[in-house]
Amino acid sequence: MNESAGRMKTKWLVTVLMLIAGVFMILPFLWMISTSFQSASEVFSSWLPSKLDWSSHKRIWTGNYNFVPYYLNSVKISVISTVGAVFLSALAAYGFARIEFKGRDALFLVYLSMMMIPPQVIFVPKFIMFNWMNIYNTHWALILPGMFSIFGVFMLRQFFMSVPKEITESAFLDGAGHFKIFFRLILPLAKPALATFAIIDFSWHWNDYENALVFLTSPKLYTIPLGLQNFILENNVDYNGMMAASSAAILPMIAIFLIGQKYIIQGISSSAVKG
Amino acid sequence: MKRRSWIQKQGWVGYAFIMPNMLGILLFFIVPALYSFGLMFTDYQFANPNYSFTGMDNLKRLFQDEQFYGAIKHTGIFLLSVPVSLVLAFIVALVLNRSVYLKGLLRGMFFLPYISSGVAVAFVWMLLFQPSHGPINEVLRWIGIASPPGWFADPDTAMYAIDVVQIWFMLGYNMIIYLAALQEISTEQLEAARIDGASTRTITWKIVWPLVSPTTFLLLITGLIMTMKSFSLIQAITGGGPSGSTTILSLYVYKTAFSYYEMGYASAISWFLFAVILLITVIQWIGQKRWVHY
Repeated sequence: MNESAGRMKTKWLVTVLMLIAGVFMILPFLWMISTSFQSASEVFSSWLPSKLDWSSHKRIWTGNYNFVPYYLNSVKISVISTVGAVFLSALAAYGFARIEFKGRDALFLVYLSMMMIPPQVIFVPKFIMFNWMNIYNTHWALILPGMFSIFGVFMLRQFFMSVPKEITESAFLDGAGHFKIFFRLILPLAKPALATFAIIDFSWHWNDYENALVFLTSPKLYTIPLGLQNFILENNVDYNGMMAASSAAILPMIAIFLIGQKYIIQGISSSAVKG
Repeated sequence: MKRRSWIQKQGWVGYAFIMPNMLGILLFFIVPALYSFGLMFTDYQFANPNYSFTGMDNLKRLFQDEQFYGAIKHTGIFLLSVPVSLVLAFIVALVLNRSVYLKGLLRGMFFLPYISSGVAVAFVWMLLFQPSHGPINEVLRWIGIASPPGWFADPDTAMYAIDVVQIWFMLGYNMIIYLAALQEISTEQLEAARIDGASTRTITWKIVWPLVSPTTFLLLITGLIMTMKSFSLIQAITGGGPSGSTTILSLYVYKTAFSYYEMGYASAISWFLFAVILLITVIQWIGQKRWVHY
């Protein structure tokens, strides 16, 4: 009894120490939220607002610096890209995982090697290409490439390989073709994997700054990261506004993370450890 | 082997499944990559469409370019964040794996920075590190440091301040993967060591640490590659300044291409970046066989 009570004590002690460390990890977020509710004179002078001041948040959503269009642009681009990427990656992943055809392994090796190419290598040619294709400075410049994910093919392929072969084989013997097996059997079975990839992919599109920076120039097309940057360039002393805007940019991801926490963590750890 | 027969007859179906994705990868990754490789040997500038082949000039120029050497040095300092974040993540994962309550909450707290990557986080850190009134320097003054560093504003400290942010950003990701690895270690093995009288410290460094060495190796390699490719954080915080002190290779590519419009030279720098990543990957391949035990 004594020993286990002692053990519980250390366990609580460690928990409290870890909670303190954890608070340090999220301190920037806490500070961000706190500052967004302060009045302009309070920034840097106190940690907590003396009273909740909503004016910064109002300023972000109404008035000159209206984040609504940035939000709509980000939602549009992230949703279309993610839906496309999930579907197209799942198709390809099934092909790589379950069908044998000539050159499959060589093709997969090409996919593999593409992961090594830094995005900076293809910035310049994409810039030239998009100009030529007339999609530079349109949302298509982000959506079209965004629908093709190499990481998605990898992750989903790995999951499809773990589905027992017997399941698809018996369906095949019953006369179902690969398309039927894919839509009726694999996709429903793979829901957790598809959700994981969708969440991770969505977060990339939502936070994507570099592509937006290179391929969008009209402020009305700006996504949240660019809108935020624009806001800060033009209001570089409006610290409360900056923090209100930053909160607005981060909040959806935090919400998605809380909902999908289990999936995200499983997906990330399985794709890295077994990848 | 027997089950192959039914699959092979349907070879064309395989292409049908892969084609939609492959066309996109071809158009948006492979063709631009090849294009970029070609550009490396030209003096292509965006404003001037008449360009000519200059052979190895861009590559020669690389090795005479002070800014390029600077960028390599800054990238090197940036990469220091990888091992530091790994060690911290290992310690956090060890603790979270066993003797704590509220595991889910704690895991979430450490992981939060990774999911909320982006410009927003960059600006929060900019204000936290603000030299004259920022909370970090306020605290430093409060504990008696009369003239705390200028952080992002000072060329001598800017790159290290960025390291701090990067460590904070990567910690949760590394921790999650370490947790997954730790959960695969059998408890019997650890119990046996404990019965033999091994201290917690001995068990941790002599048994657990070697057992997760493949994970450490993988995280080190992928971390180095990810860090070499990263761009947003530094671009949003300092834009490569002050006086170029945080211009890492990926930022130098961007600057050369979109501030100076020297597309050909930018391609050369980006392929140097690729060569380094390729080298790290090759080391991974060799290393995997050497000391990664599955």
